[in-house]
Amino acid sequence: MAREILVAIAGSPNVGKSTLFNRITGGDVHVANWPGVTLTRTEGYIEHHNVKIRLVDLPGTYSFSAQDIGELIAREFLVREKPDVLVVVVDATSLEKSLYLAIMAMELYERVILAVNMIDAASKRGLRIDFQGLKSRLGVPVVPISALKGIGVGVLLDRILEVAEGKTVRRESLKIDYDGLEPYIYEIARHLRIKGALKDYPSRWAAIRLLEGDDKIFEELKKVDHDLADYVRSVRERAEVELGEDPEKIAISSRYMFIDELVKSYVARVRLATPGLSERLDKVMLHPIFGPIAATFVILATFFLIFAVNTGFPLNMILEHLGYGELAGLVEEYSLSGVLGLMFDWFSTIVEGWMNSLGYNGWLTSLITEGLIGSLGTLISFVPLLLMAYIFLGAMQDSGLFPRAAVAYDNLFRRFGLSGRAFFPAALGMGCSVAAVVSTRGIDDDRERMVTAMTSPLIPCQARLLVLLTIASAAFANPLHQSILTISIYVLSFILYLLTSKLLNKYLFKVEHAPDLLMELPPYHRPSLRVIWWYARSNTEHFLRRAGLLILGLGIATWYLLNFGPSGFLSDGNIAGSYAAMLGRLLVPITGLIGLPDWRYTLAFEVGFVAKEGLLITFSSIAGVPDPIEALRSIGITPVKAISLALAMNYYVPCLATVAALFTELRIGKYVIITILMELGLALITASLVYRSALFLGFM
Amino acid sequence: MIPLAFLMPGQRGRIVTLDVGRGKARRLMEMGLLPGEFVEVLSNSVGPVVIRVRGMMLAIGRNVASRIWVEVT
Repeated sequence: MAREILVAIAGSPNVGKSTLFNRITGGDVHVANWPGVTLTRTEGYIEHHNVKIRLVDLPGTYSFSAQDIGELIAREFLVREKPDVLVVVVDATSLEKSLYLAIMAMELYERVILAVNMIDAASKRGLRIDFQGLKSRLGVPVVPISALKGIGVGVLLDRILEVAEGKTVRRESLKIDYDGLEPYIYEIARHLRIKGALKDYPSRWAAIRLLEGDDKIFEELKKVDHDLADYVRSVRERAEVELGEDPEKIAISSRYMFIDELVKSYVARVRLATPGLSERLDKVMLHPIFGPIAATFVILATFFLIFAVNTGFPLNMILEHLGYGELAGLVEEYSLSGVLGLMFDWFSTIVEGWMNSLGYNGWLTSLITEGLIGSLGTLISFVPLLLMAYIFLGAMQDSGLFPRAAVAYDNLFRRFGLSGRAFFPAALGMGCSVAAVVSTRGIDDDRERMVTAMTSPLIPCQARLLVLLTIASAAFANPLHQSILTISIYVLSFILYLLTSKLLNKYLFKVEHAPDLLMELPPYHRPSLRVIWWYARSNTEHFLRRAGLLILGLGIATWYLLNFGPSGFLSDGNIAGSYAAMLGRLLVPITGLIGLPDWRYTLAFEVGFVAKEGLLITFSSIAGVPDPIEALRSIGITPVKAISLALAMNYYVPCLATVAALFTELRIGKYVIITILMELGLALITASLVYRSALFLGFM
Repeated sequence: MIPLAFLMPGQRGRIVTLDVGRGKARRLMEMGLLPGEFVEVLSNSVGPVVIRVRGMMLAIGRNVASRIWVEVT
């Protein structure tokens, strides 16, 4: 049996940590979340020289100060799980910055390997690094690599095994000179050792952190030794008075001075780099006027590509409008979801015929062909859409466009307690709420990500646009009135999206202001297809695994409610006698509030939960008219009812797949329930306001 | 001494003090925005201020950038 070792990979954002992870594991990874948060946790297994290596990708952080959840997770992982090896990835082209995390890691942990990434880019820029010198100064293996090109990865793996076996390991953590703080560090460390407190950490490291005012460690100390904690506090206060400076500042500057010394000794600049494409692109992207325009253009292009390929939208609508109805139909039919839909229809027809020929033509056939294959079709039809949403999110992040677009939009979103990073989910939301919810992964602030995931389903997706247009056409003869209704719903939805974000921030998460933007803008570079594909694939798999059962389960439950009634299986498609219709009749008082006291509407809302297009299908089947516009007219839609229905349809609940996505992203059931209740509340409030005012003004 | 947010694109300055809360100051310093460090403003209009520090481009919210005091160099 091969031995197994645990290896953690740490690194600041943009140093190529994920690329390295992907390169080592060959893309065979497991994506999950860190416990209790929405941060992605990636793990992979490989075998090298008969040793099984379990690799864990730590959250990308700039330090181990435990200032935010990512830093805390990374630090706790090192201290609690004690990996056999910690690989810290740094960027050869910006050592003066990326070494900071590495220095902190080496102070905290002994079994460290420094992986200096992007050596190819560094030599192109005229940087020459003395790796041997770095190694002897730091006392840890230093491996030059290019994760993108696969250079040095084999050597890195060899070093990992050596360090895990106890060869080439430094005996103690890195010591850097903290100048005036030294006597105080000595004093606290001595006390920690005598009292045996905070044994999980190196005593010198813990002493430095305590002097710097690390609340997390201070609380830990307070729990085990209250007196010692008080003493430490007094030392810290004394240090501040005696040194006339914040110990924290001295500690951070000392680390940077150490880095400057390293860079001066071991990095030579043999020639000056010439200003490249990056600078010229940034002249546009960071321009006060052209920046937002360029960002919007990029987003629109992204949106168009994702959705036109997948569903034909909005290309089909544009073509239809220009009078190319036939072409629009073709675009829709041969879009990915169109083809997938056809395949599933075809498959279910075959299964149905086959089952009928075997003599099954009752509920079992219906369960398999409609319930099971239907739900499976729903699930599968999201796969290409999600893959592409992830691919574009990955490409935007990897290329450096994402943070720049976030800067361009920041000014607008800031007013609503969000940062510019919320632009991407909002834009994708116009295509599909599931894509919007999963794309909140691009936001690195945990709270902001949750808020955006909870509110972005308010933005009408393509399915809802279809229902909206049908309702508008059924109730208003004048195309102008139809457009006014449609556009008003969009405007209202965006206002509600921003407004509810603000309210959730304020009342649920108790944050008054938007997170202050402090974001690195990495140099532009061509995204690595390999890494993006891997990112998209593993995240889509994660979604399918987590959301799949939920979608199938709820899909089949809805099938049961629609196909069974007190009299058993309704073979004749007599939906009026189903449990769903009975439930609909019970719910009539609620839709009565919004002027739709009719079980046919409540039933449509029930079906619409599976997918919002379901509303139209229900109206057609109840009325027995294939054209949903005619069907709506035949059940007596009026302009006021249409507005109320349009509002309610938009907000009453996120569709089934979106709820499943919310579960996979938020991880906390409470927040999913709050989201659903919030939407239901908004539906009732907006629709009943319309209905009541119409009553009051005498329109009804 | 003026706030970083008042610098025009292309201007350089030297950080004097960070007039922000403790946690925020730590974050800024750990990103390399230490007193004594040189910064160059790359873009500054309505949204975040984009600067270069330690060879890295950083976007800083206007709020925070108004509380970072620099000496123009």
